[in-house]
Formats: sequence, C-alpha cells, structure tokens
Amino acid sequence: MTAAVSPATSFLDPTVLGRIGNLELLARTVVEGFINGLHRSPHLGASADFAQHRPYMPGDDIRRIDWRLYARSDKYFIKEYEAETNTNFTVILDVSPSMRYGAVPEDGRISKLTYGCFLAACLTYFSSLQRDRVGMATIDTDIVEYVPPSSKHLQHILHALDRIEKNARDSKVTPGKSSLLPPLRKLSEMFRRRSLVVLISDFYEDPEDIISALTHVRGRGNDIVVFHLLDPRERDFSFTDSSNFIDMETGEKMPVIPEYLRKQYADLIREHTATLSKRIGETRADYALFDTSKPLDGALFTYLAARQRINRVR
Amino acid sequence: MNFLAPAFLAGLAAIAVPVLIHLINRERKVVVEFPSLMFLQRIPYRSVRRQKIRHLLLLILRCVALALLVAAFARPFFAKKHPAVATTGAREVVILLDRSSSMGYADRWTKARDAARKAVSGMTGTDRATLVLFAGDASVATEPMATPDRVIAAINAAKVSSEGTRFAPALKLASQIIAASTLPRREVILISDFQKVGWANHNEIVFPQGTVVTPIDLGAAAVADISVAQVTTSRDSAGERDHTTVAARLVNTGAAVKAVSATLAVGGRDAQTVRANVPPHGAQQVAFAPIAVPSGATKGAVRVTPDSLTQDDVLNFTVAPDEAVAVLVVDPPGARENQSLFLSRALAIGDRPSFRVDLKTADALTPRDFDGRALVVLNEVAPPAGAVGARLRAVLDGGGGIVVVPGGGRPETWPAEWRVLLPATIGAVVDRTADAGGTLSSVDYAHPIFELFNAPRSGDFSTARFYRYRALTAQPNASVIARFDDGAPAVVERTVGSGKIVVWASTMDPYWTNLPLQPVFLPFIHQLGKHVGRYADPRPWFTAGDVLDLSRHGELTAPFTGGRAADSANTLIVESPSGVRERVTATGAGHLVTLKEQGFYELRGQNTPVGSGRPIAVNVDPAESDLSHLDPQDIVVAVTAVNGQRLPGSDLNTATPKDQEQRQKVWWYLLLGALLLMAGETMLSNRLSRATG
Repeated sequence: MTAAVSPATSFLDPTVLGRIGNLELLARTVVEGFINGLHRSPHLGASADFAQHRPYMPGDDIRRIDWRLYARSDKYFIKEYEAETNTNFTVILDVSPSMRYGAVPEDGRISKLTYGCFLAACLTYFSSLQRDRVGMATIDTDIVEYVPPSSKHLQHILHALDRIEKNARDSKVTPGKSSLLPPLRKLSEMFRRRSLVVLISDFYEDPEDIISALTHVRGRGNDIVVFHLLDPRERDFSFTDSSNFIDMETGEKMPVIPEYLRKQYADLIREHTATLSKRIGETRADYALFDTSKPLDGALFTYLAARQRINRVR
Repeated sequence: MNFLAPAFLAGLAAIAVPVLIHLINRERKVVVEFPSLMFLQRIPYRSVRRQKIRHLLLLILRCVALALLVAAFARPFFAKKHPAVATTGAREVVILLDRSSSMGYADRWTKARDAARKAVSGMTGTDRATLVLFAGDASVATEPMATPDRVIAAINAAKVSSEGTRFAPALKLASQIIAASTLPRREVILISDFQKVGWANHNEIVFPQGTVVTPIDLGAAAVADISVAQVTTSRDSAGERDHTTVAARLVNTGAAVKAVSATLAVGGRDAQTVRANVPPHGAQQVAFAPIAVPSGATKGAVRVTPDSLTQDDVLNFTVAPDEAVAVLVVDPPGARENQSLFLSRALAIGDRPSFRVDLKTADALTPRDFDGRALVVLNEVAPPAGAVGARLRAVLDGGGGIVVVPGGGRPETWPAEWRVLLPATIGAVVDRTADAGGTLSSVDYAHPIFELFNAPRSGDFSTARFYRYRALTAQPNASVIARFDDGAPAVVERTVGSGKIVVWASTMDPYWTNLPLQPVFLPFIHQLGKHVGRYADPRPWFTAGDVLDLSRHGELTAPFTGGRAADSANTLIVESPSGVRERVTATGAGHLVTLKEQGFYELRGQNTPVGSGRPIAVNVDPAESDLSHLDPQDIVVAVTAVNGQRLPGSDLNTATPKDQEQRQKVWWYLLLGALLLMAGETMLSNRLSRATG
C-alpha cells in the first residue's frame, strides 16, 4: 500500500514558505493542505481519530450522540475520539550553528534551521489541532529554551520558534562542538508523562553517540521520531572552486579541492545516514531524512503516511 | 658569465606571473562555511595536500623552464681571463690622423694636429711612431723608423682632404704595422671626429694581443652645419640657346633655423642669388630661374653662406648637352623593303638617350663610316673584311658594340677573323611555321637588356612568335641571354676588347618574326642599343674618392678622341683643381682616374688649349655633412681582441666564428634543458589530470 496524493494537491515549496512571515499562518497553510490531502486519501480516512462508542449518560452533549447507531440499535451511544486523549507532544529542535547552513537569500533557499522551525511549527500546529499538549525544546550544547507541554502553549511555541530565527540572524557563533547527549539527558528527566518526542537535527555526531542520547529519551517510554535535515550540498558536495572550508561549529579551517573529495564525501554521508536509519530503527524510533530543498508538506505527508502504515502493522 | 643580449633577461619577470597568479589565487581563495568538517577530515590527508605539492612541483618546473628559455635568448657566454698588457719597455705607436672633409669643421683640424704632435712629443728615444693619414683610404705618411722630427713635419704638412671618412682601412693598416712590430708595448692613437657614417664593424680587423687603443675624440661637441646636399639640372634645348633650370637642396643639421643665401654660378660667374630659411634638422629646396648656357659642357656651382664646415657649402656640377648614341645600320645590297625600318624607327624615338641612326649598304661602306660610332648593326650582312673590317674591329676594341643579325645570309662564307669573334656559331635556319612559330621561353631578366622587363606587367615577350631563326651554338666564352622554347639560343653575347658583340638569331623586321609588331620591341631595342653601345647616364658631378673609368664615359672622351680608340699612353690629360696633371687614355691600361680633390678637373687632349677641355665636377662626399657622432669605445672594443678573446669590456663581434660559437653555445644547452623540462611538465600534468579526473 502506498501513500498517494491527489493530483490537485500541490506541495508547498520551502522557498514559498520562507516568504510567509507568520509561523502560525505558515503552519496552518501546510497542515490544512496536508489534512486535505489526508481526507482525500483513499487509504487513511477519518477513522484515525475515532476511538470507541460508549453509552449515553445524562449530562452528555446530545450533539455527540451517534444517530446512525441509534437508528440501527435503538440505543443512545456517544462517539469518542482519540484526539481527545491529550497526549504530550514535544518537539526538540537542534539550534546548533551547523543548523544555520544552507540559507541563500538570493536564491530563496532557506537554512536547515528555518526549515526545522517550519517543520516544528507544522508538527506542533498539527498536534494542537488534535488537542494534544504541545511542548518544545531547543538545544545545542545544552538546553537553550524549553516550553513544557500544554494544550495552551501553541502560541508560546510559535513565538519561541520565531525568536530562534531572529536570534540566529543576529547572534554570532560561539565556537564549540555541540552534542545531543547532555541536553537530551536533561530533557528526558524533565518529561513527566510519556510523550511523543520529535527530534529535529542535522546529526553531525557519531551515530553511536546519537543512539546513546536517544536511548535516554526512549528509556523513559517516550515515542521518538527523528527528523534528519540535510541541505542538498551537504549530500552531494556540489562545490566547484578550491576553498577554505570552515567548520560552522568549531571554527576549524581546512583547504579543500572539492573535485578531489566529492565522491568520498558523498559516500561517507550516505554511509552516515544509512547507519543512522538502521541504528535508530533498532531503538524502535522512527527516522526520516528531509532534504531542505524539497517541499515541507510533501515530506511530512510522505513520512506520516509511512508512520501510519507502520503503526497499523504494529 | 656575460650575456650577448642581456635585455632578454627582462623576460625573467615573466616568472612572476604564474607565481603571482598562484599567490593571488591563494589570497582570493573562497571561504566556505560548512556545517561540519567531520567527514572531510576522515578523508585521507593525501587527497588534499599531496595534490598541492604536486602542483607546486609543476609550478617549479614551469618557472625553471621559463628561466632557462629566457637565459637561452639572452645568449650567455663565458669570458676568459686575458693576459696582462705590458706596461714597461719601448712602444710601437701608430698615430691614425683623420683628415676627412669633416675634420675641416671649425678648429677640429688644428686640435687634431696638436693632439698628434703631443702624442709624438711624449715618446722616448726607444719608442717608434708611425703616422697614418686616413680619409676614404689610408696611407702611411712616415715609416716606423722615422724620427720624431720627421713625424712632426709630416703632421704639419698634412692637409684636410675632400674625401669621406672610413675607419676600416686605417685600422687595418695599423693592425698590420702593430703585428709586424717586435716592441713589447703597442699603442694605436686614433685622432678623429668619429663620424658615425665612417664606421661599419669589420670582423676581420683584430689588433694583436696587448695593443692599447687610445681614441682622441674631437667631435663630441654639438655641431651645426649648412650644406648643399643635392643639385638637379634640367636642360632645355628647344630654343636658339640652351637653357638650364637649377634647383638645390640645402640641409641644416643644426638645432636652429638658419637664414642663408644660395648663389648659382655658371661658367665661373655668379648668376643668381636667392635667400632661404633652412629649418632645424631639416632641408629646404631652392629653385633658380632658367638661365642660358653655352652649347658645350659648362661649369656650374651652387654656394651658400660659408659656415664652420666650408667644404660642403658649395656643390659643383657640369651642364652638358645630352650626347646621342651614334648607330650605324648596315644593310645588304638588295635588301628587303623596309628591312631596317622597324629598327631605325624604334631607335629614333626617345631622347634619353637619343640614338642618331645612319643607314648604309654593305657595298658602300668606308672606314670613315665607323668614326664616332657606338653601335653598329650588321642587319643580315656579313662583317666587312679588309680595311673596313679592321676599322670595325677598332670600334669594337675601343668600347663600341656590334649587333649581328645573320638572317638568311650565309655565315659560312664570312671572314674567318670575324667568325672566331662571334659569340656563337651560326647554323642552319630553323623553320617553325609548321607549329605556328616558336616563342622566347627562357630570358635572363638579370641581364641589363632584359632587366627592364623583370617587374610584373612591364613587358610580355610570350606573345612574340618566331617563325624562323638561325640555330646558334654558343661559344664557351659567350653567354646566352635568351632562348627559344626549343632551347636554342636567341640572343648570345660576348665581350671582345672593351666592346661587345651580340648575335640575334631572328630578324629585325617582321620577315621571320612578329616581334617588331609587339609593344616590347621598342624598349627591347632601346635596351639593346644602350647596353651594346655602352651608354652610361651622364653624371653632373663625381664624389671625391671616386675612380673615374673613362672607358665607360664616352661622353667625356669623345670630343678628344673622335670615337677612335685612344690607346696611346699620352692621348689625354686630366688636370686636377690643384693643377696636378695626369696622362690617361680613354681605354686600355690608363683609363682610370682617382678623383681626390673638390672642384673641377679638366679632361683635354694633347693639343687642346688649357681651359678648353671637358670639365668634370667633383664634390666632397655628401655623407661628410652628416656629423652624427660615434662613441669611440665602439671602435675600441671592436678591434681589441686577443687570440679571438676580447679584452675586458669588449664584445664578441671580432672573435673568430668558431671561437664565438664555442663561447656562445651555452644557449643550446639551456634551450634543450627548457624543452626537456616542458616535456616533463607536460607528462606530469597529464598524469595528474588522469589521476584526478
């Protein structure tokens, strides 16, 4: 079974999204389009939110009575939905300097951080629509900002995400290698209820260290979804001129002749993502690689459809 | 190590170009912010750095190849150490004293003689001195054994000549004197104004080892001179009296405008004077009004206001009527109608020179008919025998010419003494009517007869058809000037005595050929007449130092020889402007006269009254007016070679060719090295390209 999209659905290009200043508007634009796509999908249907029926009890809202079932059984039943179960949803966004890579305003291209903000906003908005309690954390070498999960924190989160972009533009980079382990360990201790945790990062770290960090979160019973963001040039290394490459996190310099290194680099990054996909899958977490040049809602759609299929199997 | 062409070393700066580009590229290297270098750092180190090292090796290869190339072009050579010059002992001193015309400028001659006297006075009793006076040529004025007093006397007696400057003969003479000397110290003192026009480097002049050359320069100061550089005359003989129009070109070598008056003198009297402003470092043309001149040769001169160099302030010339070339065309009795018509009409046209043509039949010839003839055409008639033949032979020996046209005659019956003189054996008639006639296929365009037609579109002989001609077999001492398309000679020439005989294989009328109907016929006949008749364009003047060959200037000797061979030793007299008389002949052994003095020479016969002879104008060499100065060291370094090796400071120009080659061949190795490096660089870069591609 494959996730299909109606031909009428047009995915929103990140460059188009980049022109939308309001994150809420952006998230709504993406998510509503996404949901419309879901509604039109022959495989998903509306039953995703439906949980069960229960007998009518005095005090219940008569608008929630399932009249069709009454017609068949001559008894009053109330429809209950999973969306009303109020799960915790926390998005963890890596805001380390390496995430700022990829912004080319002249070409309308956006950075991984911006793309990550869009993604976080959309997911948060989507979860909020499902009445989940939404929270957010930004991390680099430590926790930068934390918004605890709450059904009323959507605006807080959107504002926090908005600030991240502004801070990224205004602040200077402090050299230092970021690591997922310390902040994730702290965050796992801060989660009081089991949560759906979404981790958005570029994962420039040894896969074993990443797994170690995720294990802390997973060990608390949290469900983890990992979104790996990469700019196209990080994957194909399509540079041409001999250049001095500077590590955006550590400030290290290195003279590089791209044409000599392209193939080896591409092999290494491919191997890295493959290892991440395999090792993260082994921890029963979900892994998805997002190319920041690809439409955001399309990527979301593809991922969530696949997740739904996997959940059905589970 | 020195360099023959050190200017090429400037090319080493080109090495900076790749280095600069390298540096600029490094400085301009783009800085790219990249999320993480963790993967790049895992790639083996050599992928980045070793490439750079290899590229550095390429850069070095290229720079070294470029440097070797530049060094090769700079022509390096190795100078060897030279033996020390002797500083003690008796001296052999050769004093070269320039007495060319330009030494008459201001007080140069006085200073020159003072310098020469000073050089002599500084000699000790064991020293020997030789005085060599030079201008156009060089002569030893005193022998090496002469006492200082005699040398001083010779210096005092020396005078400025009218000749130009040539250093080479004097230096050659000095090198011979020095080479013959046994004294330990040898010195050449060169006293001159060092005119640039007098020096052309002569590799063969090399002074022996240890010779010291001391130049004494008298021409270093700035100079200004006005000279009469050129005179053109145009003689008009149309009216009752001849008129001549004279124009002169005045040259100013000074840095300021010079106002001068130019005077035209004719027949020894001033006729006209015009004033002119001559621009600095420029020339000014002045024209005189037409003036009546006598019918004979007349003296003329253009003078300007005298200045520091007086000899070139006057230019002498002669105005003489053009001498016609006297031609006798001999026809056979009963000749075809108009047999000589085309020939005589062609010769009658034109005035430079004009041909005076007389026609005679062979049976009516007398010896007197040949008097004064420059050219005789035997038009299908046998050469005369007997007294008439002897007179014709005298014409030939005296510088006249004969054109033999055998036509349909019977050459085998011609007098034997003429048959051996002819340049070719005349054979049977070749009939080409069957194949529409032959053509001239091989012509010697370098020969004076045909040189006029050498340029493109200046005459086409290919359209002329020759239906019949005589088969000629050239004599060993003759030259074939033109051939027919079957290879048979068409025009054959031979020199006999001072004259020439030419045989023309076809006819001079349209009987056997249509050449007389072609446009090239007239210039061809004129060229033939000028060449065989030994016509020379009259010269209005000669330059001091020229040798006058009287045998080539019949217009000068004709009034006194009557066209006869003046072969006796005392036939003519040439009197120089200073009154020195010389006996000469128009031809033979004494026909050469060296014109050394400025002014008018007079050529006259034994019985010609003094002053009634033919004036011959002589002027100083116009090059002497060019007072451009030469650095004396140029001469010094050019002649002071020792065993093929230059003394310090000298160049390689006078070393032997073999030695020069030995010392300069380094550049071959440098060039070879550069080529090898370039080949290596190409291989290495190709290998790198393959490795990185």
